[in-house]
Amino acid sequence: MSYIEVNNLRKTFTVRKKREKGKLFREKEIVEALQGISFVVEKGELVGYIGPNGAGKSTTVKILSGILTPESGEAKVGGMVPWKERKEYVKHIGVVFGQRSQLWWDVPILDSYSLLKDIYRISEKDYKGRLNELVEALQLEKLLRTPLRLLSLGQRMRAELCGSLLHRPELLFLDEPTIGLDAVSKLSLRDFLKWENKEHGTTIMLTTHDMEDIAELCSRVMVLGHGQKLFDGKLKDLLEKYDTVRNVTVKYDVEPICFGDDYEPNFPRGVKVTRKNGELRLTYSPNEIPTADMLAFLQSAGTINEMTLESENIDHLIAAMYKEMDL
Amino acid sequence: MNTVHLYLRSMGMLLKSHLQYPASFIMQTLAQLVMEGGEMLAVILVIDRFESLKEWSGGNLFFFFGLMSVSFYITEFFGRGITGNFPSMVRSGQLDSLLLRPRGILTQVLCSGTDPRRITCIAVGVASLVMGSNLSDVSWSIPKVLVLAESILMSCLLILGLFMIECIFCIHSVKSVELVNALTYGGRSACQYPIDIYPKPLKILFSVVAPFALTMHVPAAYILGKSLYGWPVWTAFITPLSGAVVFFVMVMLFNRGIKFYRSTGS
Repeated sequence: MSYIEVNNLRKTFTVRKKREKGKLFREKEIVEALQGISFVVEKGELVGYIGPNGAGKSTTVKILSGILTPESGEAKVGGMVPWKERKEYVKHIGVVFGQRSQLWWDVPILDSYSLLKDIYRISEKDYKGRLNELVEALQLEKLLRTPLRLLSLGQRMRAELCGSLLHRPELLFLDEPTIGLDAVSKLSLRDFLKWENKEHGTTIMLTTHDMEDIAELCSRVMVLGHGQKLFDGKLKDLLEKYDTVRNVTVKYDVEPICFGDDYEPNFPRGVKVTRKNGELRLTYSPNEIPTADMLAFLQSAGTINEMTLESENIDHLIAAMYKEMDL
Repeated sequence: MNTVHLYLRSMGMLLKSHLQYPASFIMQTLAQLVMEGGEMLAVILVIDRFESLKEWSGGNLFFFFGLMSVSFYITEFFGRGITGNFPSMVRSGQLDSLLLRPRGILTQVLCSGTDPRRITCIAVGVASLVMGSNLSDVSWSIPKVLVLAESILMSCLLILGLFMIECIFCIHSVKSVELVNALTYGGRSACQYPIDIYPKPLKILFSVVAPFALTMHVPAAYILGKSLYGWPVWTAFITPLSGAVVFFVMVMLFNRGIKFYRSTGS
């Protein structure tokens, strides 16, 4: 049996619209947040959960963390149904919402932790050991006596993570953990998550809009759109499908005469060329022209001074994918 | 035991939070004194004008006023999570984080709010109680002290229970329902005067739906040595329990209601 088993999960919300003029009652609209999602996650996996805003990512996390009850469908995590055995279940999970704080706003974070210790009934010995470990891993020593409200966003995120891991959860949900963080904070956060996953075998499920997060952390990615699962597998496979464009910038010592004045007719078919500041920018699709052929062609034309070859930005790929899937 | 410990520690921490802004805290506490002092002034004016209301003397009225103030503001002091914070907790999604912890929701809601500024209101209430008891020449005995304690405790539970109606609505509609305030704040204003001065519909409202009359006025009549609206003396010990009944019914409904919680966006 897998650690997380989700079977045909459905959740609808009734949204009351503003009353229109001339009508007695407000109209109701039923929004299907999840339309039958199924997946399994093994213990120790690091899964990324992506999709555009409103796709149902947070709803899934909320159901799996026992906050919401689904309309129908089954879900079991470690043999427990989250929304049925909430009190027992939440002892085994940790949740971090990127946009919502779970610590106490006006008191030093150490006080928050010590109250969490009482809430989770953590023994003194476990608490001390775990706190020391986390404080070191997250570099929190200097912040322990500072009230949460005085911390920067990156510091706060670290403090939140520590708070949600004090009871050594087997499963950690992260809802947009890197939202609004600077580059350094993002990197250290990712390092920490990798460490936690490796060191304690914690299963981690994260939702994000930051593709770098996924590329750096997740061995597996699930794409959600309109309440349905659209993809489940390796990020590499997902990208291959949509990675259809290469950009080449090339600069010659002396511009080859064979390119002529208007370039494109003299290039292989399907290549787009623009010229800027003595550089040529080419765009082509590796499905039509193998990259090796392209390079050979460029090299045979003249002596290359400088050249870069890059694939499309990962965000563009995802945007293209959302577009194709009509999200 | 663990739960009580958790509650006390939470309270300590919330007090600490309040004291992070000392000037604001002191100003607001004084403002509360002025507010509740003003309420009491209204009673003083009524007594000055009429000397008595039906068979209740001026001293009796102070006693009723004090009983209500003490009960109501003790509830607000210790139960602010329910009497004040809950609607905004639902709206802001803070309730989500409570649901993620292995404790009862109600326990955690209670642990999440206190209003120490109400201490001055409680002081005014106590002063009014003492004044009322002196002016009415109450001869205190052990049963009377016990009835007073029971009455205050049960009134607190009743008030908590009434505020929970609002919480239950809140879980469903996300918005707070002002209508319920008619029972809570309305009850406070109305029932600081003895129930028998009101017309029948209000009597029914405040003895059946929101039984302030049972938790406060019956035991108060006993303490003040008046007839218990024609009921035998021992009923003074029984009727306040209606507060606990309301409270436990609401706790049950609350726990049922929380299953329908739908959270707000992320």
